[in-house]
Amino acid sequence: MCPSPLLEARDLRVTLPGDVGPVAVLDGVSLTVPGGEVVDVIGPSGSGKSTLLRTLARLLPGAQGTLLLDGQPAEAIEPHAWRCRVALLPQKAAIVPGTVRDNLVLPWSLKARVHETAPADAELRAALDRVNLGDVDLDRDADRLSVGQAARIALTRVVLAAPEVLLLDEPDANLDDASAEQVRRMTEAFAAAGGGVVRVRHQRSDELAARRLHLEGGTLGEVAS
Amino acid sequence: MTGAAGGVIVIGWWQLALATVFVVVTGVISIRLALGLEKDLAIATVRTYLQLLALGLVLTWVIQNQTWWLVLAILLVMTATAAQIILRRSPDAPKGVYVTSFASMLVTGFVVTFVVTGAIIQVSPWYRADYVIPIAGMVLGNSMNGIALALERVFADLDARDEEILALTALGASSWEAAAPSIRSALRAGLMPTINSMAAVGIVFIPGMMAGQILAGADPLAATGYQIVVMLMVAAATAVGSMLAVLGSYKRRFTDDGVFIERGMRVER
Repeated sequence: MCPSPLLEARDLRVTLPGDVGPVAVLDGVSLTVPGGEVVDVIGPSGSGKSTLLRTLARLLPGAQGTLLLDGQPAEAIEPHAWRCRVALLPQKAAIVPGTVRDNLVLPWSLKARVHETAPADAELRAALDRVNLGDVDLDRDADRLSVGQAARIALTRVVLAAPEVLLLDEPDANLDDASAEQVRRMTEAFAAAGGGVVRVRHQRSDELAARRLHLEGGTLGEVAS
Repeated sequence: MTGAAGGVIVIGWWQLALATVFVVVTGVISIRLALGLEKDLAIATVRTYLQLLALGLVLTWVIQNQTWWLVLAILLVMTATAAQIILRRSPDAPKGVYVTSFASMLVTGFVVTFVVTGAIIQVSPWYRADYVIPIAGMVLGNSMNGIALALERVFADLDARDEEILALTALGASSWEAAAPSIRSALRAGLMPTINSMAAVGIVFIPGMMAGQILAGADPLAATGYQIVVMLMVAAATAVGSMLAVLGSYKRRFTDDGVFIERGMRVER
């Protein structure tokens, strides 16, 4: 028996204004993401990979189609709650002014998590250790982080917030090999703990994804392994 | 239209013409340096003549025939025109900003003006045009500048922060939480000119109202009292007006689900 998908998308359609009229960026895209699995989406630049991730996170106005999380339709889940459970990490790490600690506990400063307790310093340090950022002090000014450090801090922040599905937009683009390997390991650990992952990637396969899907011309196809 | 009247030296046509020569010189400089400002400068000069002349005539007539509804009607026209100017100065603002600016100016303009004329200066009757209209003009003019600056800044800043806003929303932020840094910087931008002029007043420059009263022969100390009231009410009107306008309009850039509508997704107005 196949495991029931954690995240399921049926017949997603997105039309965006283009240079010469509206363009169907997603034209009937369906996708299933079982828990514990990493799914890679590849395709040429501008083919709508980031648009697909945003649609899955319910962060794209005007997107049409059916989304199910753990069998529950999107309409039954409040958008903010959905985004906490299906977490998108955009390509560019958003680092807010303040310390590394401020950035890591940012989700708990928001109303959506007002009833949850932010992780303690010990937990934050352990999380930084896991992505080889043990030498980064929690009190360090976030302005002084390198691009690679900022990307790993942003990923750590999303993982700490414990979503069920991670949507990663080119998580290892612009990273050196060592940083990319740590991001890969963190993603692997997230999936091993039962989470579902959708990654948009340009690089060649890192052997982590169970399936690779190719998005072009608004439709999604399986890439033969 | 020349000579002295009641101690005031009246400006005549030839003095006006002499003053206009300075603008002509500026226009010549603009042409020589290819600044491209001469047309705007000419239009602005003609508008200054016509609008102030019309104001003089209207004020003379209103002061002679004042009724409460006439005074209120004039204030409404002033507010509507200011909202129109704000709209023109915020080309990136979303639809509906006219209504928000009009409402913000209406509330702050009317409240501040009538608190000053009714409670502080205590004019009688309450609609006395020679007090209400000039004071409303100062309140509306300054809050118009503050609101226009704040609106221009908030929508430009939101666009500049679109990637950060997406990341924050993805973490569960509400539209308010995602927009708050832009809102704060916009309100500071709207209020800074007023605070700066409050700091420099009396030392670097003599404000228009006080200068006018002194030129008209008033006791400088009596003029000081008026000027302090005006500075404070302008600061309050600008702050409250900008706040109402920004808080009342930033959500137009977000969907009901709290998602920021980026440039590429907008249906242009």
